[in-house]
Amino acid sequence: MHGAESDAGVSHGARLVAFAEAVMGDDEAALARERAALRGVLSPECFVDVAGVIAAFNVVDRVADATGIPLDDMLLAVSADLREQLGLARFASAANTPGCR
Amino acid sequence: MTTDDSSAAGVPVGEDVREAHRRLLEHIRAPGSWWSGAQRVASAAESRHATRCGLCARRKAALSPAHVEGMHDTLGTWSASAVDVIHRVRTDPGRLSRSWFEAIVPAGLSDGEYVELVGVVALTAGLDFFARALGIPPSPLPDALPGDPSRYRPASARAGTAWVPMVACEDATGAEADLYEGLAFVPNIVRALSLVPGEVKALQRSSAAHYLSVKDIVDPAARRSLDRPQMELVAARVSALNRCFY
Repeated sequence: MHGAESDAGVSHGARLVAFAEAVMGDDEAALARERAALRGVLSPECFVDVAGVIAAFNVVDRVADATGIPLDDMLLAVSADLREQLGLARFASAANTPGCR
Repeated sequence: MTTDDSSAAGVPVGEDVREAHRRLLEHIRAPGSWWSGAQRVASAAESRHATRCGLCARRKAALSPAHVEGMHDTLGTWSASAVDVIHRVRTDPGRLSRSWFEAIVPAGLSDGEYVELVGVVALTAGLDFFARALGIPPSPLPDALPGDPSRYRPASARAGTAWVPMVACEDATGAEADLYEGLAFVPNIVRALSLVPGEVKALQRSSAAHYLSVKDIVDPAARRSLDRPQMELVAARVSALNRCFY
């Protein structure tokens, strides 16, 4: 589903999610398909930005989870509802943040 | 074709990103605090090799990585404990645990060596995912620069908050005075690698080149060509796939 109803209010949201999932996965045909689809709706500059965000969070996630940092108190306070909605406490790395489960 | 000549594939990577990648590769090939340039380049190569490791694949598919035993497919330049760090940080970071960390570090790595390995492996993963997203080959790893590691450890690094000691914002003085670039709020992710100050700077460079500078992250109006909700949607999906709570 790639219509506006699946975009969660974000322009081309469904395409962006499908592309991120393909980059993180191991299905090369799916990746080629999603890359072509995304390039069909985004400017070249925006497409490069998507690649950048994927790169940045593959760095940040590894650093966070390999060093065992807890979520900052300020972020913990403002993200409680969102964390519950997304079920983030199921991740093993939630153990690094006391009181989040 | 690499980031530097990606325009041949119709992918207009900006000069700011290309320059940042050149500097990140320079950083990887230079001697660090605890590893030589050759060792750092070797850790980047091992992290790429990990993506083809059979044990890592079986562990990632298992309910728990601890239930799958075996030997990593390795390039053979690292100790068993270092290989396990490199491979698991690269291939299954969301299921690292404190008990694993507390077993692996005394088994042959110092905490500084561990932090530096994490920094290099994470940066390499970022560069590789950038290339994969664009559909271009990963940048060739550079030749190492000569020289010895500095063996510098910030005296103000303190244990307690995370698995590894970190430099608190209020303790960032002297040689660490510019570590956090005068930020009013220094999130733990910025402090995470502060046992090895050079890795903090590289992480900040990676964030600025690929996402936003650390000082701009808290500004909801900050964005790139992509708008901020689009950026955050991609970031959230990637982090969920990495099973990263932070």
